[in-house]
Amino acid sequence: MAGKGKLDLVERLTNECIDVCQAVLRGRKYLAPLLDPSFRAHKLQRALNEQKAAVGEMEMAVDRIMTAVEKMSEIDFADSGDAARRVAECCGEIVEACCFQDITGQRMSQVNEALSAIEDTLTFLSDGTAEAAPPEDQTLLNGPALPGSGMEQDAVDEILADDKGKQEALG
Amino acid sequence: MAVDMKMPILIVDDYKTMLRIVRNLLSKLGFSDIDEATDGTDALAKLKSRRYALIISDWNMQPMTGYELLQKVRADASTKSLPFVMVTAESKVENVIAARKAGVNNYIIKPFSAEVLKAKLKTVLGDF
Repeated sequence: MAGKGKLDLVERLTNECIDVCQAVLRGRKYLAPLLDPSFRAHKLQRALNEQKAAVGEMEMAVDRIMTAVEKMSEIDFADSGDAARRVAECCGEIVEACCFQDITGQRMSQVNEALSAIEDTLTFLSDGTAEAAPPEDQTLLNGPALPGSGMEQDAVDEILADDKGKQEALG
Repeated sequence: MAVDMKMPILIVDDYKTMLRIVRNLLSKLGFSDIDEATDGTDALAKLKSRRYALIISDWNMQPMTGYELLQKVRADASTKSLPFVMVTAESKVENVIAARKAGVNNYIIKPFSAEVLKAKLKTVLGDF
């Protein structure tokens, strides 16, 4: 009987080991989208860069707004004409600085996309109910360029001018 | 010919803050008749109900992007020559070239200043 008991224990432990191995293999399969070099090199790295750029842009915007507010607080209202002009200038600065909300919003959507992919995979790992969706094909949609990697307005103007020139020549 | 500062202008952006910023800057430049749309589909509906003299649109919107809106505007006989300015954070060469090929009149990179907006509108509308 003691021999039978040991055999049962060995069988049960073996089956548990097999279950654990299968779970590890399944987990590795489910993690494949996140382990894919393209996800780590592009999506995840881009998300980190976008987040960093967004923080930098928010800092710059806040600095610009604070500078404008400080300038306004120093205006001498004895000369009402000059004061009105300077207040209008500061208000313009504040309005322009608020552009950051759109840019950082687009950057954070890239971060959300990467987090969603991780969340989908974790959900699938935990209960197997959700399939990680493949990323959507966003033809021509890049979002804001990272600092130093996008085109400046002058370069855009050159392309447009060059194209207009060509069209005029053809016309 | 002088620019009519009362011309109806349609601004399109899915960020309410950007709509406010562009509206504010246009008002500052002297334009007074400004309508808003929150994406390409909304803009097309507004274009059907009113004749505008200028569209200023963002690119990155859902469900219809500014680029798709531009293509539809150019494909429609009643709006094909309507001045269209793209104001966008999309600053890759391929975006600019695609927009140019689709018939954009000017292309402004966000973030931008009131001076840049004024300069680009002058190239499209004439001096004001």
